[in-house]
Amino acid sequence: MSPLNEEPESADAQAIDQRVERLVERAIARNIPGLRLPQTQSDLDVGPTPKELVFSTETACLYHYEPLQDEVYRLPVLIVMSPVARGYILDLARGQSLVEYLLMQGHDVYMLDWTAPRREQATLGLAEYVVDLVSGCIEAVAGDSGEDDVTLIGYCMGGMLSAMYAALNPRGPVKNLACFTTPINGDGMALYKKWMSSPSFDIDRLVEQLGIIPGDFINSSIQALRPLQRSANQMRLLNNVEDDAFVKAHLRFDRWAVDQLPIPGHLARDMVNDFIVGNKIIDGALALRGQTVDFAKITVPFLHVAALYDHIVPAAASRDLIGLVGSTDKQEIVMKGGHVSLVAGGNAVFRLWPQLDNWLATRGT
Amino acid sequence: MSKDKDNEIDPVRLWREWFVKSEKTWSDSLTKMMGDERFSSGMGRYMHEALHTHRMFSEAMAQYLANLNIPSRADILDMSDRLAHIEDTLNQLQVELRGQRTQLTKLAAGSGGAPEGTARKRPARTRKPEKRAE
Repeated sequence: MSPLNEEPESADAQAIDQRVERLVERAIARNIPGLRLPQTQSDLDVGPTPKELVFSTETACLYHYEPLQDEVYRLPVLIVMSPVARGYILDLARGQSLVEYLLMQGHDVYMLDWTAPRREQATLGLAEYVVDLVSGCIEAVAGDSGEDDVTLIGYCMGGMLSAMYAALNPRGPVKNLACFTTPINGDGMALYKKWMSSPSFDIDRLVEQLGIIPGDFINSSIQALRPLQRSANQMRLLNNVEDDAFVKAHLRFDRWAVDQLPIPGHLARDMVNDFIVGNKIIDGALALRGQTVDFAKITVPFLHVAALYDHIVPAAASRDLIGLVGSTDKQEIVMKGGHVSLVAGGNAVFRLWPQLDNWLATRGT
Repeated sequence: MSKDKDNEIDPVRLWREWFVKSEKTWSDSLTKMMGDERFSSGMGRYMHEALHTHRMFSEAMAQYLANLNIPSRADILDMSDRLAHIEDTLNQLQVELRGQRTQLTKLAAGSGGAPEGTARKRPARTRKPEKRAE
């Protein structure tokens, strides 16, 4: 090989070296902002809207949010959270808070948020949650607001509890009922149904031994429904790591997603036996303290909001709700989005919240 | 020049983007696999065995910790329950105080002036929906 031919080859090699070096440097530079993540995680402010504790009993805590308008609608709005989820998903950050939005529109907002049960509360079941705890909070809202009537908004399992309460108290204080992504048909929870119907699955043994079902257990069960989603979210975070707003929003969602509440063993057993395996709501066979839960008895204005891409409560698990309810004034909104982005994502802020406000405003006087 | 640099291919980023795009397909396949009869039955058996191991290990560990005079998980839970009771009591006090402040505000409204430290005046419940433009 002549020396004349060596020079270009060496120049090519050098160019490749430089190119690789630059790629590595750029990759490192892109990912270095990620080193800030652990610091920002602790700086995240969730649940920023001022609130006061109004009532608490067992695992239920009732909060009243400070009104932001001098004149509010007559009916107080009570948001019932899911017993496995923290309420701050609906008050994630300023400008990304359903609670703040409703207050700005002149609604008087209360929230029934749940706390982790103690060992002595392991025996709280579905009946106690609906008949004692939800009921107790509704009475407390009446006492605090001075209004006997109330509008209920239930999120996920909170929607199930709200609908059950409304069905058991058809002449009661509930004047409007809105359910967000509410599971009602156990057959629609296909994976859980398969697992829990297996003869080798023993819910009694699990409840007897653990007493309280840990939050991590619930978190793992939810993640099993879409096993790689969390990893994909981490990838998405890395791809947007230079965008501070994206990073903060992502971390808030992520913090909430893994922050599942433990639940009493008896509630877990009732959910498995009566809802998922027994599918008693659809069959009209569910009874709480001897009283049949018949959704046809719900005759108040009813709104059901579902998410098109919800993998936690898929359409098959929630779409029967609107048909079961006996109301003549009933409406269903199906939005693009998932289980969480339905209530706290960009689509929610610009599309769902205004529709919800409109629905509440016309029925809140 | 800098634009050219931005257009350079970042293979790690490309891989991440591919992962994000194909995640749902992979997840669906895994979920389908987990919904299989044999897997479901295996899950139940695994849970059964895990509970058995958990019980054995917990009992042995509790004994071991007791011998070393170190608090066990049960002791920590006892303490957690006592703290939760204290929190409950504080919550009740908070609720009681709020009730008292509300009463004071009502009394003050009747006598014409709100004393310092009382709750804010409640908004009127007379709001009506805005009439939408036709």
